[in-house]
Amino acid sequence: MTETTVSRESFSAHIWRKTLDGVGVKVGLAWIALLVFAAVFAPFLANSMPLLISKDGIISAPVLRYLSVEDAWVLATFFIALAVYRLRLGSGKRILLFLLGSAVAALLVNMFLKPPVLVIYDDFRTITYTDVDWRIMPPIPYAPTDYLRDLGSKGLEAPFKTEGHTHLMGTEENGADVLSRMIHACRISLSIGLIASGIALFIGVIVGGLMGYFSGIVDMLGMRLVEIFEDIPTLFLLLTFVAFFGRSLYMMMVIIGITGWSGYARYVRQEFLKLRKQDYVQAAVASGLPLSSILFRHMLPNGVAPLLVAVSFGVAGAILSEATLSFLGLGVVDAPSWGQMLDQAVKSSTFNWWMAAFPGGAIFMTVFSYNLIGEAFRDAIDPQLSRKAGVN
Amino acid sequence: MSQPLLEVRNLHTYLQSGGREVRAVDGISFSIPKSETFCLVGESGSGKSISALSVIRLLPQDIATHPSGEILFNGQDLLKLDDPAIRSVRGSQIAMIFQEPMTSLNPVLSIGEQITEALQLHHPGMSDSEAEQRTILALEQVQMPHAARRFRDYPHQLSGGQRQRVMIAMALACEPQLLIADEPTTALDVTVQAEILRLMRKLQDDTGMSIFFITHDFGVVSQMAQWVGVMQQGKLVEVGACIDVLRKPQHSYTRQLLAALPENLSKPVLATTQNLDELSTAEQTPLVKIRDLKVWFPIKKGLFRHTVDYVRAVDEVSLDIPQGQIVALVGESGCGKTTLGRALLQLEKPTSGSVQIDGQELTGLSAHELRPLRRKMQIAFQDPQSSLNPRLLIETTLTEPMKVHGIGGNDEERIELAALLLESVQLKRDFLWRYPHEFSGGQRQRIGLARALALNPEFIVCDEITSALDVSVQAEILQLLLSIRQQRNLTLLFITHNIGVVEYLSDQTVVMYKGKIVERGKTAQVCKTPQHPYTQKLLAAVPRLIM
Repeated sequence: MTETTVSRESFSAHIWRKTLDGVGVKVGLAWIALLVFAAVFAPFLANSMPLLISKDGIISAPVLRYLSVEDAWVLATFFIALAVYRLRLGSGKRILLFLLGSAVAALLVNMFLKPPVLVIYDDFRTITYTDVDWRIMPPIPYAPTDYLRDLGSKGLEAPFKTEGHTHLMGTEENGADVLSRMIHACRISLSIGLIASGIALFIGVIVGGLMGYFSGIVDMLGMRLVEIFEDIPTLFLLLTFVAFFGRSLYMMMVIIGITGWSGYARYVRQEFLKLRKQDYVQAAVASGLPLSSILFRHMLPNGVAPLLVAVSFGVAGAILSEATLSFLGLGVVDAPSWGQMLDQAVKSSTFNWWMAAFPGGAIFMTVFSYNLIGEAFRDAIDPQLSRKAGVN
Repeated sequence: MSQPLLEVRNLHTYLQSGGREVRAVDGISFSIPKSETFCLVGESGSGKSISALSVIRLLPQDIATHPSGEILFNGQDLLKLDDPAIRSVRGSQIAMIFQEPMTSLNPVLSIGEQITEALQLHHPGMSDSEAEQRTILALEQVQMPHAARRFRDYPHQLSGGQRQRVMIAMALACEPQLLIADEPTTALDVTVQAEILRLMRKLQDDTGMSIFFITHDFGVVSQMAQWVGVMQQGKLVEVGACIDVLRKPQHSYTRQLLAALPENLSKPVLATTQNLDELSTAEQTPLVKIRDLKVWFPIKKGLFRHTVDYVRAVDEVSLDIPQGQIVALVGESGCGKTTLGRALLQLEKPTSGSVQIDGQELTGLSAHELRPLRRKMQIAFQDPQSSLNPRLLIETTLTEPMKVHGIGGNDEERIELAALLLESVQLKRDFLWRYPHEFSGGQRQRIGLARALALNPEFIVCDEITSALDVSVQAEILQLLLSIRQQRNLTLLFITHNIGVVEYLSDQTVVMYKGKIVERGKTAQVCKTPQHPYTQKLLAAVPRLIM
């Protein structure tokens, strides 16, 4: 027998290592990591208020005082995720702990955080905030909705063309800094992708799993349900809902989620039909293990890999849906989003390249990154592909 | 002896795999005279197939290199030929047939088209009608019934044995001088294997071709070969005339392989005699009682999927399995033996009939009602690749059923029990903290057995647990099984198609054919004086070592 060196890593570790082998996936992950960083720390990266000031020997942090409920919750969730990741627990327990922590954080933040209702950005450029011993400003000293009225901004200034201030990506028609809006828009793109896909995944795994495990009549009914949901055109449903109930990011997430699960259900069903006949599942049944253990411990982890591929493409699709909707002018009003910025670029009287190129490029890069990750995942888990490449 | 047809001198084949170089074939030399058969035997991974593929130059050139060696075919070194030249040799002078008859034919072309294509490729001037005539001749030559009518059949309309015949017809259509056969009968039932082997010998007599035969089965070797080579880790450890090697093996590895054959294993005498004494009393108290068991699968057709017929996988089987005995269930593939095993454990829902263990009825119980009874009966599987959950540590695989059934007070106790289980199947206790992919096939089968033993059952169904293993590993598992059975007074239903294993292991033998039991009795009796015509045919077909 030719010696095969067996590694001591687990199956998932092996998949991860193989996924990370390529260059494309590293680029993709780096871009997503950058987006996560920007989304989490947006108020510290691009804001009109100073991070720290020292006045008359008293040090204060205006940015913290003006931190919104959403900002605080995103920060808390991020650090909870980091902490949970470092815990030595099973993945199921970790996910549960994370969701619990995040919910508690949302509750606490809502109860105790009372940021000022009205923020006048011009104030931060008055004597109160400028006549100080020292102050630290964010790298981009403009908030996304700071229209720089006091500075006499005319709007639509190309990058580096403004006198006295630097706008790295120029300003939009109201005079707000484009880069700042880009950074704050990361949050919408990331959250819509992850939450919409999360909802779809949750429904898809449960419906598909039941179909695959029980087959027969359950499978028949489930497949009809899948077919019904496949026939719903998501974009038109979204347009209808916006027309009736107004614009809401959360509604958008839910609708993309509940119309997008059918593909995942098909994947899970097919995997489960295959896995049901596997000897180790039969052995689990023969040992009299409870159904929950058979489904979630013995079957799901072995069938989840192709799902991850589908999810990475699904996230990209959800981001595009939001961008499309915002581009049509039906997106969220109060916060900037990349699609909405594209819409602005089209609607303004003259064509301003910086208004279209940056948000368009960001959408392209994000969708591209998710697709790269999905592609790498697929190559790593597809045994036939690896065998063809002689990796095995 | 005249000049040999094929002479391989000091052949090396190295494969590049993930940055490493594997010496798959490491300096082998042998020769095949005209009209004779050379058999290459060895265990899986010993480099047999790679040697064959090297000879016909079918290995992908980017991963396989031949640092040194010569392959002289009619005095011409095949390693020195360029691609067009080797292609003209391939097929017309050297042909090859493969192990898996299911995948080596193209499913979208009729078998006639596939053979004529091969013919016309090597004889460009041949007309369509002439090629068709030749094809039908070739099909007749391989004793295909109704060859002319079969011409337009597609591969899925043929049985495994017939497909292998088509493969041979295709290989022989161009009248090659050398036929390379890579385990051509391994995927076939013994009765079909016997027919194919007979056919190959007849074709060799008729055409005078040489055969380079690769197999792992010494029984097949003794039937086919004039010359035999034994391969181990890329090296030929012993080459010689078939009779010499089989009767007077020189190398220790050859001796070890021959000794591991089930028919050569020494039976633990003590256990057998003891059991013979117990037999009369034991027969009165069957542990498992099967009455009129039917497992029928509906065949659905048409728009409304109405049932037109049934596949009678298990058809009115009645059987008693006495306490403490090993009952072997034999039959060819598709005879329903695996379905019967699964239906016993209610993994497959029986259509009708009754299964009792210790007097308790199993059929018709819900999953919940079955759970306490699951402790008594377990199953071990054939395929070492799929029998363990790849995502779980061995520890979890072993302790989870214990936890569900309340064996052991706490987790530490259960881990200790699992470690003892591993020791009882002769594995190290720290294997608990590993994943299945870190083990070899034989080790996984041992772990599969340990899992079956975890609940301390009285009855285990062993579904072809040694079929996927090499003979030496099979011998170890069989010996282990006998010793465990003795320690724990287990009752086993051993499903197999290997008569050698049956003779070695079992007390009683049950022969199944087309869903029905055709013969049963004490193993010695069934094997020596078979009554039913099917049993007689089956036993006659078993390739045995002629010593």
